[in-house]
Amino acid sequence: MQAESKKGKGKSKKAKVESPIGAREKPEPKRSRVTGAAIVVGGGIGGVQASLDLVEMGYKVYLLESSPSLGGVMGQLDKTFPTNDCSMCILSPKLVEAGSSENIEILTLTDVLSITGKPGDFKARVRIRPRYVDVEKCTGCGICSENCRVKVKDPYNANLTRVPLIRVPFPQAVPLSAFIDPSKCLFLLKGKCGNCKEVCAAGAVNFNDKERIEEIRAGSVIIASGLKTFDARKRGEYGYGIYPNVITSLEFERILCASGPTQGRVIRRNDGKHVKKIGFIQCVGSRDKVIGNSYCSSVCCMYSTKEAIIAKEHSPEIEPTIFYIDTRACSKGFEEYTERAKEFHGIRYIRCLPSFAKEVAPSGNILLRYIDEGANIKEEEFDLLVLSVGLEAGTGEIAKSTGVELDQHGFVSSPPENPVSTSRPGIYACGVALSPKDIPETVAQASASAGMASLVMKEARGKLMKRKEYPPEREISPEPRIGVVVCHCGTNIGGVVNVKEVVEFAKDLPGVVFSDERIYACSQDAQEWIRDMIGKHDLNRVVVASCTPRTHQPLFRETLKSAGLNKYLFEMANIREHCSWVHMNSPEEATEKAKTLVRMAVAKASLLVPLAEGSSPVVHSALVIGGGVAGMVAALKLAETGYQVYLLEGQDSLGGKARHVRKTIEGMDVSEFIEKTITRVMSHPRIEIFLGARLKEIDGYIGSFRSTIEVGERVEEIEHGVVIVATGAEEYVPRKGEYLFGLDERVITQTEFERRIWCEPETLRNVRRVAMIQCVGSRSEEHPYCSRICCSVAVKNSLAFLELNPDADVSICYKDVRTYGLKEDYYFEAREKGVNFIRFNEEYPPSVGKIGEKIELKVNDANLSAPSHKYRLHSIADPSTQERSAPSEYNRSTRWSRALQERRLDALGTIPHLWNGTLSAEEIKLEPDLVVLSCGTVANPSAQEIAQMLKVPLDSNGFFLEAHVKLKPVDFATDGIFVAGLAHYPKTISESIDQANAAASRAETILSKEEVITEGTVAFIDEEICTGCGQCVSLCSFGAITFDEEKRVAVVNPSLCKGCGTCSSACYSGASRMLGFTPEQLYSQIEAAFLSV
Amino acid sequence: MSVKEEAKNLLGKGMDGVLFYQMKDGSAIPHLFTSKDIDEMPDVREIPDSERYPLSDILSKLLMRFSSAKFGIVARGCDERAIIELEKHQQIDTSRVSLIGFACSPELAKICSCSKPYTESLADEMNEAQEISRGIESVERMSTPARLGFWLSNFSVCVKCMGCRNICPLCFCKECSLQDEDLVESGVLPPSIPTFHLLRAIDMAGRCVMCGLCEEACPAGIPLRTLYGKVSEIVREELGYVPGTRGVKSPLEELGSSVGSDDDLKS
Amino acid sequence: MASDENVLLQDLTPIRIVAFLCNWCSYAGADLAGVSRLSYPANVVTIRVMCSGTVSPYHVLKAFQSGADGVLITGCHIGDCHYLKGNYMTYKRFQVIQGLLQFVGIEPERFRLEWISASEGEKFAETVRDFTEEVGKLGESPLADEREAAKSREALMRRF
Repeated sequence: MQAESKKGKGKSKKAKVESPIGAREKPEPKRSRVTGAAIVVGGGIGGVQASLDLVEMGYKVYLLESSPSLGGVMGQLDKTFPTNDCSMCILSPKLVEAGSSENIEILTLTDVLSITGKPGDFKARVRIRPRYVDVEKCTGCGICSENCRVKVKDPYNANLTRVPLIRVPFPQAVPLSAFIDPSKCLFLLKGKCGNCKEVCAAGAVNFNDKERIEEIRAGSVIIASGLKTFDARKRGEYGYGIYPNVITSLEFERILCASGPTQGRVIRRNDGKHVKKIGFIQCVGSRDKVIGNSYCSSVCCMYSTKEAIIAKEHSPEIEPTIFYIDTRACSKGFEEYTERAKEFHGIRYIRCLPSFAKEVAPSGNILLRYIDEGANIKEEEFDLLVLSVGLEAGTGEIAKSTGVELDQHGFVSSPPENPVSTSRPGIYACGVALSPKDIPETVAQASASAGMASLVMKEARGKLMKRKEYPPEREISPEPRIGVVVCHCGTNIGGVVNVKEVVEFAKDLPGVVFSDERIYACSQDAQEWIRDMIGKHDLNRVVVASCTPRTHQPLFRETLKSAGLNKYLFEMANIREHCSWVHMNSPEEATEKAKTLVRMAVAKASLLVPLAEGSSPVVHSALVIGGGVAGMVAALKLAETGYQVYLLEGQDSLGGKARHVRKTIEGMDVSEFIEKTITRVMSHPRIEIFLGARLKEIDGYIGSFRSTIEVGERVEEIEHGVVIVATGAEEYVPRKGEYLFGLDERVITQTEFERRIWCEPETLRNVRRVAMIQCVGSRSEEHPYCSRICCSVAVKNSLAFLELNPDADVSICYKDVRTYGLKEDYYFEAREKGVNFIRFNEEYPPSVGKIGEKIELKVNDANLSAPSHKYRLHSIADPSTQERSAPSEYNRSTRWSRALQERRLDALGTIPHLWNGTLSAEEIKLEPDLVVLSCGTVANPSAQEIAQMLKVPLDSNGFFLEAHVKLKPVDFATDGIFVAGLAHYPKTISESIDQANAAASRAETILSKEEVITEGTVAFIDEEICTGCGQCVSLCSFGAITFDEEKRVAVVNPSLCKGCGTCSSACYSGASRMLGFTPEQLYSQIEAAFLSV
Repeated sequence: MSVKEEAKNLLGKGMDGVLFYQMKDGSAIPHLFTSKDIDEMPDVREIPDSERYPLSDILSKLLMRFSSAKFGIVARGCDERAIIELEKHQQIDTSRVSLIGFACSPELAKICSCSKPYTESLADEMNEAQEISRGIESVERMSTPARLGFWLSNFSVCVKCMGCRNICPLCFCKECSLQDEDLVESGVLPPSIPTFHLLRAIDMAGRCVMCGLCEEACPAGIPLRTLYGKVSEIVREELGYVPGTRGVKSPLEELGSSVGSDDDLKS
Repeated sequence: MASDENVLLQDLTPIRIVAFLCNWCSYAGADLAGVSRLSYPANVVTIRVMCSGTVSPYHVLKAFQSGADGVLITGCHIGDCHYLKGNYMTYKRFQVIQGLLQFVGIEPERFRLEWISASEGEKFAETVRDFTEEVGKLGESPLADEREAAKSREALMRRF
């Protein structure tokens, strides 16, 4: 047991691990062949993002997926936290983009058998299982499914429904084609039936399809094999698989989903009863050494909170209860989300894991026994029990075929200096293949791994690329022929708005010649259908009534383009976010409003005209703001890829906050890493460093920025194509007197503690008792977010300190221990080594005072709460009786070994105050020699200024706000500007490195091009009407309007114009027109808003 | 020195003409005097108070038509303010203009409710005039529905003659929003109420120099001076700008905030 | 009593509101309100513009003329404007329009400007709720009668 836990440190062998960034900066001269194509294994969000980035960088991609469709687990989710975005809605456009890319070859039902060769020149043998349906011929019409005689469980719906064995995997599947599940096919097994082949008009069914082995040459490989969920049967005490009303969280996700087995109604599947009380049990298959998954799965706390909220939104009478150990809400917006779940949605959280579930006959309800916060034993029945199953790596096969090493948990092992590289050079990984993580981290790693792959293949960039050909733009008649498509969005819209009524209404609107509905207007088949309809009905303008144009307009515009229509002849009516979702309770009003919104869109559409896009050249250099870890890594990555980088640092030296860190929790030597990185940055010929510098002014746009940098007296102007913001963050400085900080030198911060451990260990020689206080400057009123890393830092420093003073006592006062992911192992180790974890409630924070010369720390142990202290003391005093007096429903934290209990006893023994005569409830008094404050991370105050200069937003906590918290984690809404590292949110060094590499990759997608295409929606000034009054010239923030002295009129430079329309709204004579938002177009919308229906 | 003598001086200094009024059949008509007929230029006192024209507008057109010519102008206070405002809108190149100022009669100043019935050059000699805004005050004393009633009944007699626009020295657009069929229905009288008049009022914000020519020109007697006067008052009080003064442009035509701090705006 | 009557009036003639939303902050905020399922009255329709500075006074007048009982403009917070200072223009114009409306007897409460960021879904919903209630108390636009009169005048003129 001991030995095993020693091993469980995540310190796997790193025999031939690649050096941090761009180990392949100097290609071996003898390498003769580099293939400009990459293999991406896994078609979930990680694999799709990596593929899209690679294509944008100029490489061909073979995207291998073992199932019949792209999408992965994200495609099965109903919503995503913390924005409750519809998962499929945000994923689908990416799938469609991947599906329609000329340069992504999607190979479904494909597994890798072996990979041979070397970086730049790999050979992969792959097995392509028969699909029995020709993807090229299949239209996804579904007639085959209707005529199929055999039904099988549907893996897309977590096996909750039965579906024909020939079918399209799910409505938004890419490729949108049926497949045959051969396991039960009557024809394939017995030569009977064959209905599907008979009814398929397209002749797509092919029973003679055979397994094929193919060889693919590629320069690099990215493993994005994703996750499988823990098999809940392994925790038999919850009765999963036995009791019908015990289900997994993924099954519940499908139940919540409008496209799921119950169309989103929260009902029990065995008796159809509407569910009222739902219990969630956390950490099923996580943080559990007994079943072998000692790590934390990182996402379950958030997804169960999300599922609880969504369930409650479906029907407010639902009462969800979440049984948990610690809430691990430690990323952007998570803490706020969880608080809102508690306060606003009334989700009940109980810090206790019931250790068994029992079915109650005849109701089928599930009985749980647990101990509440007041330490009372309670019994409660639930209609439904949801097991929050953990994530496991699905890497077994791929590790065998690629030869990459795995860690003891089965995740691909990788060095913390470059978390996306593997033990095999040229092969990279991203997402849950590496460790449990959420979607944005996966997406960032996907981009990062794409960039790494590009570094290997850069010589062959563009060699295998095909260009997308669009049909020539057709001439359109001024007379509008408008097509209207109304989307059901599953039931997101259709469940509230009467779509049929809207479709019929649209038919009578002026200019409309075609109106119809689709279940998902954004699916790939719908795009093809829209293309067909444009041709069939000679449409010259298209209106889609679905969701927000902010996410979906690009997709539909692309569809218009491929149909030969100018993409600006498109208009959207947002009948989801602005209608069905906000008027759920009044379907009639929602339907009327949807009609009005459609009428407005049609009115505008009839006045749309084709607009021309321009192009502007790309300056192949980057400005990186901030010379910390993120800034340096991003700069190096871009420089090694071949671009000039200007690295701007406000301080007089590089390194940033990481200079105060000695080691990471995994044991990476940060000082050494920083030194090495600084040397590489300083010696790189393509990096120009500005130290003690300030960005004074920035001007321009994607591909062509011009910045003024102030270095002391010196002012320099540089030109660059992209900007990466890596301005870091600050450590929270406790107020003077906060826990005696600043008043007593024995009260220090973790940073200082770490420095002493490594640099002045002698000063700690006599320190016997250390008390740490967590959440100083985090999860507070002033800083409501969780700083993510402080728990790990406290554990890391505790362990390091115990190495120095093995006999010392360390107590950590915490709210929740948030050692997410693989860091959980270190938390376990700390507990094993006797670190005493004392939980406190928000209402009773610890207090630090001075009694004479002694420091006294008082803390109310929330785990020793009032009514039960006798019971608790009893159980502590004699651990052997615990099993009897408080059976296993006791908090799972007590599952930690007997040794732990004993250590705890010892620890308490050293704290005599606890055992004073009165046993005054739960208050613990400590007399530490040293109090260490785990200070949070706060936003860099200079972020404000930079944000304003760059015109990018900050979140309410002062961190930079990315374009989309799930799928665009390092992009800003403004093109050409990216963010990485602590500037985005508190994170570990490894996570900063990932983000920095991701930002560099995203930047590379621009820098690798010769020109960027500028929008057609810019201002235009009609010189016939312009009186030359010049007010637009002074109203333009971007210097896009100049005055032509000769003609005495104002002129717009379209590549500088950002399309705000301020000039047009100020022009009395209407000479200045904001294309796409012209006065007539807006007037027509306004008028249409008020016509009576 | 009389304005005629001043005008002669200007012609002697190379000006190609001086713009003022000519008296014909007892009426004043705008006229460009040259050395040929400068002796016929009347004295300012001969010009009847009731006969004014937008001389600044005429000057602007003259300057555009004769691109190298220089002109003098005998101007009232409002003419000068219009010239200044037109210069800010690049409609007049004042480097080719010399101005001879004069003051309006006290009677006219009173009728116009004019706060500055004289040119800048005469400012030192003149008494500070009182802003008279009885029209605005009396409207503001009404209840909200009464105000609406007052204006609707006034607007309803509009015959859409466009006199207010045509006479306005600051209306120099080639295309006019009042003729935009999306905003004002064509062929209908009275023109769209109250949009037609509010459009013009909005256009006057930050531009109106309070010459009052519009109200004089209005055959329906609509109290336009009161309407535009209110708009000017808002611009003055909220944005701190008085049209026709030298220096900065109207904040409605410049970026940024002219008044208050960002914090004021945030609330 | 009076307020009861207002409520009754509201039920009889539902008020209609048009809201102009800037693409970058407020439209995203309204999207977030949707994503968060924050409900608000359905009598508000939204028009997306790139910047609140795109909204000219003409659009506001057009809306009132077309039958709006209330007009809402929403934009990025001052300092957050995606286009730097477009929202300053919005603010300045707003002051002039609101003053003018008040002067001609249209309740200034019918015209509102709010700064709503992409993360303020709740603020968007709350703004709409509050504005609808406030305009609801005022009832139908006082220009409604004038619109009716104009229609009959027009019909009359068309006959000649």
